[in-house]
Amino acid sequence: MRIIDILRKDLKIILSDKKSLASMILMPVIISSILSFALSGSFGGGVSGNTSQFQIAIVKEYDDNEQVDKIHRGLTSSLIAGSFDDEQRSEIVENALDLDIEEIFFEQFLGNEELKKVVSYRVEDRESAMELIRNRDVAAVVILPEDFIYDMTINLTTPFRNIVDIQVIGNTDYIIGSEVAESIMSGFADMTSSMIIGKNIFIETALSKGANENAFEDIDIIIDNISGIMDNSGANVDYIQLEGKTPVNSFQYYAVAMTTMFILYAAGYGSRTLLEEKDNITYQRMIIAGTPQWKIASGKFFMMFIFAFLQILVMVTYSSLVLNVNWGNLINVVIVSLFIIFSVAGLGTMIAAATFKAGNYKMASVFDNLIIQIMALIGGSFIPLEVLPRFIQNLSFLSINGIALKSYLRIMMGYDLGSVVSYISALLGLGIVFIAIAIFILKRKEGLRHA
Amino acid sequence: MTFLKVRELKKHFKDVKAVNEINFEVKKGEIFGLLGPNGAGKSTTISMISTLVHPDGGDIFYKGESILKNPKPLQKKLGVVPQEIALYPTLTGYENLRFWGNVYGLNGSLLKQRIEEVSKIIGIKDRLKHQIEKYSGGMKRRLNIGAALLHEPELLIMDEPTVGIDPQSRNHILDTVLELNKKGMTIIYTSHYMEEVEYLCSRISIMDQGQIIASGSKGELVEIIKGNKRINLKFDNISDTLLGKIKEISYINNVEIISDEVAITTNNGEAIFKDIINKVSETDSSILSIDVKKPNLEEVFLHLTGKALRD
Repeated sequence: MRIIDILRKDLKIILSDKKSLASMILMPVIISSILSFALSGSFGGGVSGNTSQFQIAIVKEYDDNEQVDKIHRGLTSSLIAGSFDDEQRSEIVENALDLDIEEIFFEQFLGNEELKKVVSYRVEDRESAMELIRNRDVAAVVILPEDFIYDMTINLTTPFRNIVDIQVIGNTDYIIGSEVAESIMSGFADMTSSMIIGKNIFIETALSKGANENAFEDIDIIIDNISGIMDNSGANVDYIQLEGKTPVNSFQYYAVAMTTMFILYAAGYGSRTLLEEKDNITYQRMIIAGTPQWKIASGKFFMMFIFAFLQILVMVTYSSLVLNVNWGNLINVVIVSLFIIFSVAGLGTMIAAATFKAGNYKMASVFDNLIIQIMALIGGSFIPLEVLPRFIQNLSFLSINGIALKSYLRIMMGYDLGSVVSYISALLGLGIVFIAIAIFILKRKEGLRHA
Repeated sequence: MTFLKVRELKKHFKDVKAVNEINFEVKKGEIFGLLGPNGAGKSTTISMISTLVHPDGGDIFYKGESILKNPKPLQKKLGVVPQEIALYPTLTGYENLRFWGNVYGLNGSLLKQRIEEVSKIIGIKDRLKHQIEKYSGGMKRRLNIGAALLHEPELLIMDEPTVGIDPQSRNHILDTVLELNKKGMTIIYTSHYMEEVEYLCSRISIMDQGQIIASGSKGELVEIIKGNKRINLKFDNISDTLLGKIKEISYINNVEIISDEVAITTNNGEAIFKDIINKVSETDSSILSIDVKKPNLEEVFLHLTGKALRD
């Protein structure tokens, strides 16, 4: 008796079961399509709903002391100084130096109670910040430019406009987190623009109350200029993806999420088959014919392996052709898939052995109806993990689909195979552990054969 | 050398002695019957012969070699038809036969040829392409037998192969068994249908409560109750008074009510009718019919155990 004969028979049985085929192959296709369209806004154009707190790193490219000197020099330079008399100039310099941009940015803006619920920050040098983002310890890095303090001070205390380019470097692993960081910094840019507008109105009003006419004889031009450049002045936010990696969209995410969830049903299906063979007496008939038990169990393992592969093949083909999903490097996708399937088939074999030993289908039913749902939730198949509480994110490593999802997403983002070695090693390890447990259970079960 | 020998075979499930130190032999080329009511221990016995269940004691020898020590030679030459339909319902008849052929190591053209031959023997050649869940009960039973014949076994064990099927399929199966035996196949046939065992088997062991209570040919077994007559009487009214009066006849061995009849066994067939009529006339009951039964295995079982085979 060859394992391939058992495998061929098991595959024929599953392929003749239209109900199972529909639920395990058509359902992920349908659900991923619905979720992709329904939640596309949450991925491409901002975030809605409750999110957990993201951490960002802030890099100060400026030197505090140097900035103070520069402000002093700038405000007493001929261009600016020429517009004011001595008294006004010294008052402007004094006010400018009193203005604490860092306090506005760090304490008033980022320290806002509402914002603190969404984001926390740490100040790092550029090198450390980039290390943190590479290690996925932060969702984004915000780089405040060399003249951040100077430019912001000029913008807020004089009618002049300097462009402030704030860079946000997003980590593509944090699909939503990096979007949130970008949104927050855009919010800061909008806020400072509002302050600048208010300040300009103030200056205009001050002029109307009798400021030196000579000093302000060109104020109309200045005001016009300010108004003219208002739209593109103040702080700009440039969003950059880490190391040129592409972020995934909702179609990609849910194609992967549903694939990794529904292949668990292959394990659920397989987990019943060993006991079904026994209930149908076909198991006993094979044993009587001298078929070793390990060959029967191996047939189940490979049946789940091939069926899960078929599920992935259908999902990859469908999502690529119909939803235009880019899965990334195909060879890497195949390699990652093989490890995922190995783990899934191992899990199914372990539950099949336990179900066989128990002599009833309770365990397989609990796996189908409860465990898969829990794994789907903690693995990020329903909702992206990063918006879930931190403890759930930590649990994701307990779910095959969670590890599988992370592996696929990284391949989609353009990472190489090396970046998923830890994931595929975990999948391989889990698969081996599951198979070892299955062997242990079945060896113990062999005693019952003689009962 | 005896083809199959069972010695002191024992299997207990907790406190239940399912099989209790039984002995019998099966000769090459015969149809050996194991007759007994449900729960007698027949299925446990054949499970042990099939190497599926390990005995608690005793041994089984196939051509002189213990199958407990080396089951492989028997497994290769053994075909088992389980009481249940041990097939895959969503596969076609052909796919089922092919798989069971594979199980016994058959492949390629040899397997095709054997499927052809076996499907002729069991008479379902024209339905092989259909899923067997669409088969009638009788056809499933026939395919169940066919799956055990593909590798041309020397020994075929059939466990209640006609349970729950129509008379036509039953007759087909019984004829198939005889035909296979004519070709030289040794068969162990278990049933609680006395007529089947009587019809097919050259030697029979009767089992009850895990023990073999009688063995021999049909003629030898009937000899056990030689001189005993079984008479079934039908009355318009069966009362305790009536039964009491009948039991007063000294040479009646046993009186019991079976359905609406009173069954009596006696070893004095000469005076019985006169005495019964006299006793019944002393009661309010009247005799409607008298049926004198020919001795058969049912009678033997009743004689040996005091209960009917189908109880």
